[in-house]
Amino acid sequence: MLCRVADSLFWMSRYIERAECTVRLVDVTLQTLLEPEQSYEDIDYKHWQPILLSLGDESIFTEKYEERNSQNVTYFLTFDRENPSSVFSCIANARENARMIRDQISSEMWETINTLYLFLKKQNANAVCREIRFDFFKKIKESSILFQGITDSTFPHQIGYYFIICGRYIERAEKTCRIIESKQHMTDQIVEKADAIDTAQWAAILKANSAFEAYHRVFVSDIEESSVLQFLILSKNLPRSLFFCIQKLQYAMHMISGCRLDQYSNEAERLTGMLLSKLNYGSPSDLTYEGEDSLLAEIVSNLESIAVELSERYMFFPIVDPAAEPESQTQEQSTVTAIS
Amino acid sequence: MEISYECGKFFDEMFISPGVPRPHYQSIFDRFNELSEDDFHQKRESTDLSFVEQGITFTVYGDEESTERIFPFDLMPRVIPNTEWQHITKGLEQRIKALNMFLKDIYTKQQIVKDKVIPAEIFQSAKHYRKEFIGVDVPEDIYIHICGSDLIRDDAGNYLVLEDNARCPSGVSYMLENRQAMKRAFPRVFPKSGVRPVEDYPIKLLAALKHIAPKGIDNPVIAVLTPGVYNSAYFEHCFLARQMGVDIVEGRDLVVESDNRVYMRTTEGLKRVDVLYRRIDDDFIDPEVFRKDSVLGVPGLMRAYTSGNLGLANSIGTGIADDKVTYCFVPAMIKYYLGEDPILPSVESWLPYRPDDMKYVMENMENLVIKAANEAGGYGILIGPMASKKEIESFRDQVKADPRGFIAQTPISLSRHPTYSDSGFDGRHIDLRPYTICGEKTHITPGGLTRVALKKGSLVVNSSQGGGSKDTWILHGDR
Repeated sequence: MLCRVADSLFWMSRYIERAECTVRLVDVTLQTLLEPEQSYEDIDYKHWQPILLSLGDESIFTEKYEERNSQNVTYFLTFDRENPSSVFSCIANARENARMIRDQISSEMWETINTLYLFLKKQNANAVCREIRFDFFKKIKESSILFQGITDSTFPHQIGYYFIICGRYIERAEKTCRIIESKQHMTDQIVEKADAIDTAQWAAILKANSAFEAYHRVFVSDIEESSVLQFLILSKNLPRSLFFCIQKLQYAMHMISGCRLDQYSNEAERLTGMLLSKLNYGSPSDLTYEGEDSLLAEIVSNLESIAVELSERYMFFPIVDPAAEPESQTQEQSTVTAIS
Repeated sequence: MEISYECGKFFDEMFISPGVPRPHYQSIFDRFNELSEDDFHQKRESTDLSFVEQGITFTVYGDEESTERIFPFDLMPRVIPNTEWQHITKGLEQRIKALNMFLKDIYTKQQIVKDKVIPAEIFQSAKHYRKEFIGVDVPEDIYIHICGSDLIRDDAGNYLVLEDNARCPSGVSYMLENRQAMKRAFPRVFPKSGVRPVEDYPIKLLAALKHIAPKGIDNPVIAVLTPGVYNSAYFEHCFLARQMGVDIVEGRDLVVESDNRVYMRTTEGLKRVDVLYRRIDDDFIDPEVFRKDSVLGVPGLMRAYTSGNLGLANSIGTGIADDKVTYCFVPAMIKYYLGEDPILPSVESWLPYRPDDMKYVMENMENLVIKAANEAGGYGILIGPMASKKEIESFRDQVKADPRGFIAQTPISLSRHPTYSDSGFDGRHIDLRPYTICGEKTHITPGGLTRVALKKGSLVVNSSQGGGSKDTWILHGDR
């Protein structure tokens, strides 16, 4: 497989997952804001700020928008083309990557992405944000899931497929970390740490990960920080838990290299194996999420290194993630030759 | 739906006189007649939508944000009876044979110049002449592997060659996709229509590419070389790669090693490439030899080619045949190399670099079509009878300043074809681009891209300037 193709498959998949995660966050935050006692404007932004902070986008937002209200944040995170990690930017980037390799992917995969892109383009962005159209968020989430299903059932499960899997789970793991991290910013915001608010915040985090119902099936108790963390980080079967994602990632990487699961053949595999062991054999007291030396911070930095190593091993292209480096948005544009 | 309009002074493809179709159009005429307006619109909408959803689009640049558009597709097919098609294919075969012999001659012995059929300064001043390429051995002596000559019909219905596209003719994906669209829109018509299939084009192309693999390689690795996703024909490059089952590569995927062989960078390491179907112009293909600033090309590609380690289609320097001044010499070439008369005539032309022709052109500008020798896509054209005084004067100055850079032609009233417009079916001017593949044998796909000028009265069919396309039906028989 061409290195460039591997690169595009990986990023196509990552961008779609990223769009879905952003939608999940926006969706669940908007739902939380519906709680009556919290629905006046000045407190709204306090709910958004943790999300902007954990996504690393807050500075771009505050620079661009004078009015820090719910509608503007929603617009910023969904339709704003100048925000490199907005849903629109992610889908446009996913489509651009898919277009580069459309001869390699199934036509169903291409059409799913293209249709989603066209759907986004024809939306009345202001109306969606002003009227809070939940069906819009649902549609994006469903399209992402549709794309995963179509990939699973129309794309040969060979090397290219596993690059898609790698992209999906690296991104998902990273976003699960971010969502958990957003809790510490929430805590920062509210001086009086009322138990009810705390519970509501953890519940929102569970919902953002489609884990609320599953949580209650496992933990009959109330929502508590320690058990939520345990669930979102260590669960062996929750599809958005860190352990689950990293295990899928490890498997996909070994399918690419052909190396046995209990050994490793490159740096990316070694790092992933270590990370997985740490989660597998760690104890609940290790599960910290606040501060630079927390477990979560370590996982995020490990995921970054794994992506870099993966890219160096297989794709030969330096990682250019516009969302990670908002300043260097200049995408390489080839000179265009007119051909009649 | 009613199809009837005044044919005027033009040759109408469908009608002998208003409402009376030619025999080869009878069945499609009947089918459209029984079609209700609602059904027609439903077919039209679903066809357009499927082009958009499949992303069969081209990119228009120039605005701030480049936009993707579909190439408008007209549901009324263009039909060509077998006898006419036989005449066209004989003419095109003759033409490509002469052109390939010409290119071989020009890049080796230049006998045609020594015999004073073509003046040396003409090809030497051609924009796409590649002197770096003189004396290079080309596999099987084929320079043009894929050719897309543009044919038009005059007011008497005679087929004429308007130009030869001997570099990277595009549009073949539309020929194939248009056929798919028609089959979906008219599923009941096809089985009994007597239309010859076009679907084997990618197979023939693949065979022609295999044919030029370096000697001793039985199972060559073939790839399509594209300028990349930002190129307006990127869809087509991908389409052909997918249809042939080969990789599509960009310049940055390839590397030429010190052994003068071409490799692509894969996840398993470097892998040798034997044949490239390139859709990048000569200028950009190798910064070591041609434009130094090209980021699209592959440094060293020419080294690999001239060492015989790479098959390249089309070969280097074929653009000389696209020069409109060279075009005027093709009838002479056919005579010179083959001793035959041209089967398909060219449009009557004048060459301003000859003093007599210059005089004639200057005196008759308002009655002539003036074309820049090296422009494409419908740019650099003056249609005298339709132009303003100011436009004529501007071209007059340009021709005087650069006589070699222009040709003049008799205006041809392109044939018209019923085409759907907002006010129902009406006659619109069309041309035809058949696709010739030159491999072990010469193959002309029974079909082609019929382009139609959608604006009433317009003669410009190019996609960048408001053109659309039609499916082209070549019949097994004559009706």
